[in-house]
Amino acid sequence: MDRETIKNKILTIFDEEFEIVNPGENEDLREIHGFDSIDAIELLREIEIMLDTELTRDEKKKAMDIRTFSQICDYVESLSADRG
Amino acid sequence: MIKRTVDIIATLFLWIYFTLGHLFFFLPAYLLAAFLAKDRERAFQHLNHLFFRGFFALAQILIPGFTLKIDPAVTRLHGSVIVCNHVSYFDPILLIALFKRQKTIVKSDFFSFPFLGWNLKLSGYLPATATGSYTELVYKGISSMAEYLSSGGNLFVFPEGTRRRDGKMGRFNKGAFSIARKCRAPVQVIEILNTDRLFSPGHALLNTCIANRVTVMHKGEIDLSRAQKKISTRELIRQTRRIFKKMPSTPETIPDNDAR
Repeated sequence: MDRETIKNKILTIFDEEFEIVNPGENEDLREIHGFDSIDAIELLREIEIMLDTELTRDEKKKAMDIRTFSQICDYVESLSADRG
Repeated sequence: MIKRTVDIIATLFLWIYFTLGHLFFFLPAYLLAAFLAKDRERAFQHLNHLFFRGFFALAQILIPGFTLKIDPAVTRLHGSVIVCNHVSYFDPILLIALFKRQKTIVKSDFFSFPFLGWNLKLSGYLPATATGSYTELVYKGISSMAEYLSSGGNLFVFPEGTRRRDGKMGRFNKGAFSIARKCRAPVQVIEILNTDRLFSPGHALLNTCIANRVTVMHKGEIDLSRAQKKISTRELIRQTRRIFKKMPSTPETIPDNDAR
């Protein structure tokens, strides 16, 4: 999955699930959009559906340090590459 | 002097029930539930419910001026996200005593306490933070929440996150509302009155020598399953705040014959 596709899918999830429209690439999602830990867990579940895979314990843990939209795209890009 | 002595004795007895009661009367039941129960989470929630029912029954014996008045509409609640004001440490244990099937969001540090942490995990309660070792726990809790709510369980949350000492309504965290929205579960708004008069923030002893009626009232409902359009989390919070403000707090509206 290329970066542009990932970006568009994440944007759709943000809009539909978290009511966050077009977040800035490097905005702190927690500070600016009130994206909390429950949202982060929901996002992980959406990512699993998007990639049709189950995330490992460490992959989920790693995601909790993510703060920006750009970092989310990096994270999904890396997961997608790992799974070929 | 007499008041202080009575406060100390009542507090001491309730602490003894809380600690030794857990150890000698309930620990064997928890162990049995942990190893034998088909639905361990449900069994642990039920045991917590019984334990705290016992706690409040004992409190009413030890503190003659203390009575509980529970709105029957509250005890009937099921399959809901229940949001409540928070004025005392007694609030969460009172809600556990009221609901046989209950989950809540708990300060993460408590999950590392011996026995308490084990109990919280097996009861399916959620840590307030999802970082580090708590990620998997929150992930499992959130993933199974829709099924839990639709099977009749309640999730109760204090959206202000902490006890209020000024009587004003604080800022709401959106977690509970995101869960309700995602699971399309009804949001029930309830209010607890006077637990802070019994166990005041900043005090170690219970305040026992006063007439004190602790009341739990149902103030309203937002039924998301019936909403035609998907309601936003922000709107859900706005409607909840409106319900909290809407009615004056009048325990007299609850019929006396339903007082527990």
